[in-house]
Amino acid sequence: MTDPVQFMSHHTAVEYSLPEPSRLGVHFAVQLGRGKIIGHRCPQCAKVYVPPRGYCPLCVVETTDADEVSIADRGTITTFSVITPLQYPGQQETEDYVQATLLLDGSDTTLMVTGLEGIAIADVRTGLRVEAVWAPDGERGAAAVGVRGMGLGDAVKGWRPTGEPDLPREQLAEHVL
Amino acid sequence: MATTWKLEFPYRRSVGPVIGAFLTGLRDRRVVGVRTAGGRVLVPPFEYDPDTGEPASDLVEVGSAGVIEHGAWVGTPLRTHPLDRPFAWALVRLDGADTALLHALDCGSAAGAEPGARVRIRWRTETVGHVSDIECFEPE
Repeated sequence: MTDPVQFMSHHTAVEYSLPEPSRLGVHFAVQLGRGKIIGHRCPQCAKVYVPPRGYCPLCVVETTDADEVSIADRGTITTFSVITPLQYPGQQETEDYVQATLLLDGSDTTLMVTGLEGIAIADVRTGLRVEAVWAPDGERGAAAVGVRGMGLGDAVKGWRPTGEPDLPREQLAEHVL
Repeated sequence: MATTWKLEFPYRRSVGPVIGAFLTGLRDRRVVGVRTAGGRVLVPPFEYDPDTGEPASDLVEVGSAGVIEHGAWVGTPLRTHPLDRPFAWALVRLDGADTALLHALDCGSAAGAEPGARVRIRWRTETVGHVSDIECFEPE
């Protein structure tokens, strides 16, 4: 080889273990496997957390099974980004896609979701009403969900517009992220 | 069930004309530095003289052996360290250079990493144009 060196690869990796999921995380995952989304309502401020955390970080009080509430499998897009995937080793996406922040009806916290179906990227907007497209019963991969304590894992394949009128932006101001 | 996650960042960096010359030299088992306008030889080379900010592009070859300026003994190497046995991190000023290069030193014991000791490069069998073409330093 005689060409001058112009590039160098710099490969960094972090490996870490996650502990056993909490009892609450497993409970959330099992409910997802049944097609149900649950949250915890803070007994003090009434904010609803999805997934349930077992406490309210604002009031610093514990939440328990007694505070469990059912959450709808539909909600509103509060904000979103269009991701153009760069091709690097391990990248599985090839086409532009939307990563959105979703406020489920009955929840005060948002979820990061992908897999918007039946809508062009250019038509995605804040206030858009969507509903869950559940994975078939038995394929919801719920066991993996509790581990990370966020998102809905493989239980929901994607989200599709409901056709309802958009929610006004003013109603989403507290729930952008 | 506990799970293991691995987060990887496969960067590819553009190295520029000066570091590029340094890496190209390593591929040929030669060490290339730069001479500043003030006459100092920097190894590893910079594109600019750190003292004046003036460009430095006068490439110059230096020796593949030198003297330890500082050493730090590593009694229990980590998985990601360059050697799998106790070693030293050493700042080595190569013959002909005015600055020191940081690298691993395979010297057996902390006594081998004392300032002033002479060491030389142990080249990797296959060189690719990366700083790891220097497998480590070893006592001369």
